[in-house]
Amino acid sequence: MKKVAVPEYRVGEKVKLHARAIGTAMVESVYPKTVTTQYPRERKKMPDNFRGYILFEVDKCISCFQCAFVCPANAVRAKEAPNGRYYPTIDYAKCIFCHFCIDSCSGGALKTTKIHDVAYKDMDEMLTLTEEMIEPPEIIREDKKSVEYLIDEKDLHLKRVREVDTLFVAVTPPVEIPMVSQCIDRANCIGCRVCEEVCESGAISSSAENGVLKMKIDTDKCTGCGLCVKECSMQILRLVRK
Amino acid sequence: MEMAAIAIGESEWEVAVPDKPLKDKLYFENLKSVVIDTNLCSRCLTCAAICPGGITVVENKVDFPDYEDKCLDCGACVRVCPRFVYEPKSGLGSYIDFIAGRSKRFAGQDGAMVTELIVSAIEMGMIDRGLFAGRDEKWATEMFHVREPEQLAITTLGGTKYTFADVLPELKKAVMFTKRGVGVVGTPCIVSGIRKLQQEFPLFRERVKLVVGLFCTENFHYGDISKFLQEKGVDFDKLIKTDITKGKFIATMTDGEVKFKVKEVEEIVASGCNVCTDFTALKSDASVGSVGSAAGFSTMIVREENAKEIIGYIKEKGYADFDEATPEELDYLINLKKGREKNIKK
Repeated sequence: MKKVAVPEYRVGEKVKLHARAIGTAMVESVYPKTVTTQYPRERKKMPDNFRGYILFEVDKCISCFQCAFVCPANAVRAKEAPNGRYYPTIDYAKCIFCHFCIDSCSGGALKTTKIHDVAYKDMDEMLTLTEEMIEPPEIIREDKKSVEYLIDEKDLHLKRVREVDTLFVAVTPPVEIPMVSQCIDRANCIGCRVCEEVCESGAISSSAENGVLKMKIDTDKCTGCGLCVKECSMQILRLVRK
Repeated sequence: MEMAAIAIGESEWEVAVPDKPLKDKLYFENLKSVVIDTNLCSRCLTCAAICPGGITVVENKVDFPDYEDKCLDCGACVRVCPRFVYEPKSGLGSYIDFIAGRSKRFAGQDGAMVTELIVSAIEMGMIDRGLFAGRDEKWATEMFHVREPEQLAITTLGGTKYTFADVLPELKKAVMFTKRGVGVVGTPCIVSGIRKLQQEFPLFRERVKLVVGLFCTENFHYGDISKFLQEKGVDFDKLIKTDITKGKFIATMTDGEVKFKVKEVEEIVASGCNVCTDFTALKSDASVGSVGSAAGFSTMIVREENAKEIIGYIKEKGYADFDEATPEELDYLINLKKGREKNIKK
């Protein structure tokens, strides 16, 4: 095994090295080049599409369960609300912040924030119920500056700006592709009218006469929410482009 | 938006509504009064497979809790029920071939030919999954989707269980998943239920490609038969095989056998079996059973071309030994079941 030997310096060299070190320290004390963000006195400026704490808007939710269905960590669960609808809850002990739920939310009810610093006292508290997702959690802001990371040719620099960054992002509304529910396989229809029952926009209607049940989808009223497609036990309904 | 822009699908369609004998009642009430309450029901669960509401089994009977509220009154149950308009059939039926076989690859009740037929159909590419009734350690049935022959290493899939299995509700799931087609095994009542589903819905017509029927004299509810066997001293942990041969019920365990006359279990035979006249699963593609061939062989009644193709494939690959079978040996049980016609109240 090779031993690392202490280099032998002569007195002149030692003085030279010490002088350089003292010089560096003096420069740093006057004009520091640190890349550490002094959180919580300053806060790193997050990009607008930062995947942080998730907020929920009740009015936009259509209870389609997509968020719960798509969640790879099983953190999102749909829970029945007093009004009979189902709304999501998020267990932050499981959430991996992939934001698939936000991406898949067809009504735009879920939205991201730049909040990434929420503390919990225990595991149970991390299960965030629907009513707790509507308002952001209480955050004590001590920061006066925000920090931006800039990479130039040589090095990583910090740019400190004397402004408090807002943590809430204005959601750009998703580009809506107008969809409409259509029957693709009439021969397999059992005529249970579940589609009519679940339709919230009243687009699906039925009428029975002379032993024949007539089903009709009003394509103008249909919002393309897909609830009927999901509920059809024979899977004969499909969303198609309007 | 213009209607012309819609590429596929249609926004208006019609469904024929089935007849209702009791006009002012729900369809489930019709089914209940015509089939279930008259003890005609075979518990094949065809209705449960198609019902978008909640037809299920409650205390050995097909039932629909809260049907007043939850029945959607669509009539799907009466459309598919094989006994709503019951035409009891009996006999040997028409067939292409009548042979005995013994699989070289699998172990089962006799010649393991049911397993062999389904697995060969998967190998041929006729179907991509077979539905088997397996069992848990207490001999209650549970359904398995077999997609690879290796899965047959679960030894509980072969062999007769003498208990109802929820084949048809599982078949509904299987037809939704399948790419090529489904193969399914069932008692005569289940086979007639499948045919009824196929008659009514193209989904089943196109995707159920192979229906293997079993010879069946009667079946038992799990609760009844397990209680009866325990009273007879059968230990489920040690039970390997159950069988009915020559009028005797034989339960083989790791440390011996329990034997008794079939007459003793007559009391707990499911009520729907008392009106069933079909012994050989007349509507199947191929029927398999133990009667009619030598010990260790399965009797096969090959009825349809698809089953004949599979038998040809098995012969070509040499997966099984074949032997002569004697149709006359089935006469006793066919006549026994034909005699049950008198139990059907007109």
